[in-house]
Amino acid sequence: MKRLRAIHPSVDIAVKALTRNRLQTGLTMLGITVGVATVLTMLAVGAGAQRSIEQQVRAAGLNQITVTAGNWKPKVDDTGAAVAHQADAGDTERSPLPRGRVPLPEVADDIALASHPEDNPMEKHDHPLAWQRLGDLEAGLGAAATLTFADAEAIGRLDGVQYVACGVHANARVFQGDKRWFTRMHGTDLQLLDIKRTWTLKYGRFFSDDEQDDAEQVMVLGQVAAEKLFGAENPVGQTVTLWKQPFRIVGVVTSASWVVRPAPGDDEFDAVYMPYTTTHRLLNLTKLNDITVTAASTGEVSAVSKRMSELLRQRHGIGEMQPDDFTISTQATRAITMGGLPPNVASAIAGNVRELERVTLEQLAGTLERSSRTMGWLLAAVAAVSLLVGGIGIMNITLLSVTERTREIGLRLAVGARARDVMRQFLIEATAISLAGGAAGIVVGVLATLTISRTLHWATVVSPGSVLIAFGVAAAVGVFFGWYPARRAAALDPITALRYE
Amino acid sequence: MIEVRDLQKDYHVGDHVVHALRGVSLRIDAGEFVTVVGPSGSGKSTFMHILGCLDRPTRGQYLLNDRDVSNLPADELARVRNETIGFVFQGFNLLARTSAIENVELPLLYTRGGALPAAERRDRARRALEIVGLSDREEHHPNQLSGGQQQRVAIARALVNTPRLLLADEPTGNLDTQTSHEVMDVFARLREEHGLTLLLITHERDIAAWGTRTIDFKDGTVSLDRANEPAAPEATFAS
Repeated sequence: MKRLRAIHPSVDIAVKALTRNRLQTGLTMLGITVGVATVLTMLAVGAGAQRSIEQQVRAAGLNQITVTAGNWKPKVDDTGAAVAHQADAGDTERSPLPRGRVPLPEVADDIALASHPEDNPMEKHDHPLAWQRLGDLEAGLGAAATLTFADAEAIGRLDGVQYVACGVHANARVFQGDKRWFTRMHGTDLQLLDIKRTWTLKYGRFFSDDEQDDAEQVMVLGQVAAEKLFGAENPVGQTVTLWKQPFRIVGVVTSASWVVRPAPGDDEFDAVYMPYTTTHRLLNLTKLNDITVTAASTGEVSAVSKRMSELLRQRHGIGEMQPDDFTISTQATRAITMGGLPPNVASAIAGNVRELERVTLEQLAGTLERSSRTMGWLLAAVAAVSLLVGGIGIMNITLLSVTERTREIGLRLAVGARARDVMRQFLIEATAISLAGGAAGIVVGVLATLTISRTLHWATVVSPGSVLIAFGVAAAVGVFFGWYPARRAAALDPITALRYE
Repeated sequence: MIEVRDLQKDYHVGDHVVHALRGVSLRIDAGEFVTVVGPSGSGKSTFMHILGCLDRPTRGQYLLNDRDVSNLPADELARVRNETIGFVFQGFNLLARTSAIENVELPLLYTRGGALPAAERRDRARRALEIVGLSDREEHHPNQLSGGQQQRVAIARALVNTPRLLLADEPTGNLDTQTSHEVMDVFARLREEHGLTLLLITHERDIAAWGTRTIDFKDGTVSLDRANEPAAPEATFAS
């Protein structure tokens, strides 16, 4: 209480002293303003990056499971029937491996693509052929027509399954007037929008239940495809032509995430979407390339995968010793198989590494964190420099003030001020500048943060905590750089100070 | 009130040692009005600084109200200055851009246990201004006041914390004769009506004559110490 009473008049004196040289004070404040604004922006961008990393990790579909038709399996005999290699001549040392794991091949010869209808040129193909699916690195995986809508429905009834989306994929030339664009066609399910959490609708809507049931010729464009065909205008309600059929555009999807930006050839936004029923009707197909499923909780991914595997084996009548005719992959195993590993090695790893999801989750988070940390350090450097410069400014103006008011200091000492009273007064003065600058800096920082998130589409979070930190930094700069001049003022000899001209 | 014994003060200027005071011993009783005269460099200012607890003697003793204050730590000296001593300077030393009453309040910011509450500060400053006859100038800033008025504000500031001893270093040095006498009249009344002890440095003989006692300084020692005729001020006023 005593202390507070002593501080109040000092604040008064400080404010009076500072308003005497408004321009000087203002310019000094400016340095602190820039520094504090940078600190705040840094914290906001850092916190935003942190939050979006978490969102990305969640949205990247760690609960996502994809069932693809076809499988890699051991060498086949001439009849095309799969031979379980565990059953090979009298090798008793090899015990049957648990299901869901693929044994590592010992020699390259052991690996061969399972026979499927594409191998036979006379076969009627019930799905887009490998050559039609350019850009698909895993062409071999999806090349068997084994998955059906009924499979998808059955999966949907499993415990722990959240969403199920059927998929038929092909490359497509989409025409609009005299423009055309070679892109990916995804015949899909309306639940896809729920699965793709990083998606957002730029225009219009996704196709509806009725449109899917009636196999209507409606289309949702990825943002890149939309731009290539329509430029900047809103294409909703317009018509494009695919397979010489007109399609009505109902919506445009784009990425809501700052990590994933739409880019040509990305298969997600350089793509067109229609109900898979429409694809089936127009191309006269009945099978699916894949089924995308989400588990209700990320922790259940393995359990749900296992249930799906059992269900599909049962539905497809696969015997105990026979390999799957489908491949189940999670987002985590995908991250590895996309990493440039030969498919056989990748699938072997994917089949054998435990807790793969967790490993890749950490890897993904790590990468994102590293880049946001780099940005953080950059901003921290800018903040440090401007706070240093601002602090030197405060030191300068306070020293000037001490010199200008030497006689005043002498007088105060003569009427009973102690050295510490004088010291406190100048410290308060220095801190007042830095706090005023800091307050302005917080306003500027918030504005800068808003601008950054508007223009650069970075996620930013201004928390009360970071405002407090910014304010604290300002106060600390004031005290730190005010210390020396205040110390000098306090050390003045009263007689010398009184005589100072 | 004041007793000094063999007071000495040395200054180091470069390699030289300047003996500003070479052994001063004297007593000043409560209620005396002492004027100090002497040429520049005679040590009178140094003497006053030590009496004012702005400086410590190199050797010797200084008893203020029977308390030895010769070697008190800085913070203790500040307290003595605040509570027991009032200063008046030649150049007034008022804070610019600050009203008269706020200037007067200044010592009350540094009282024992922190600044007094604002209302009490205002109250006491108002009373001090009343004593020097400037009640109608409370809100005036120094640049709106005449030299004599400024010095009276400074005297009010010296009085505000009810000191026992008032020290004035050439208080009339910047004033014309007329206002000098006005200011001296205030000092005389303070002694008579409020029983203050006064010590005033001057080098004008007629101002020195206002005191009840005049001390001459020369080369760091007291060369003459005599009581004045009570009629002296009127006589000089006539001249």
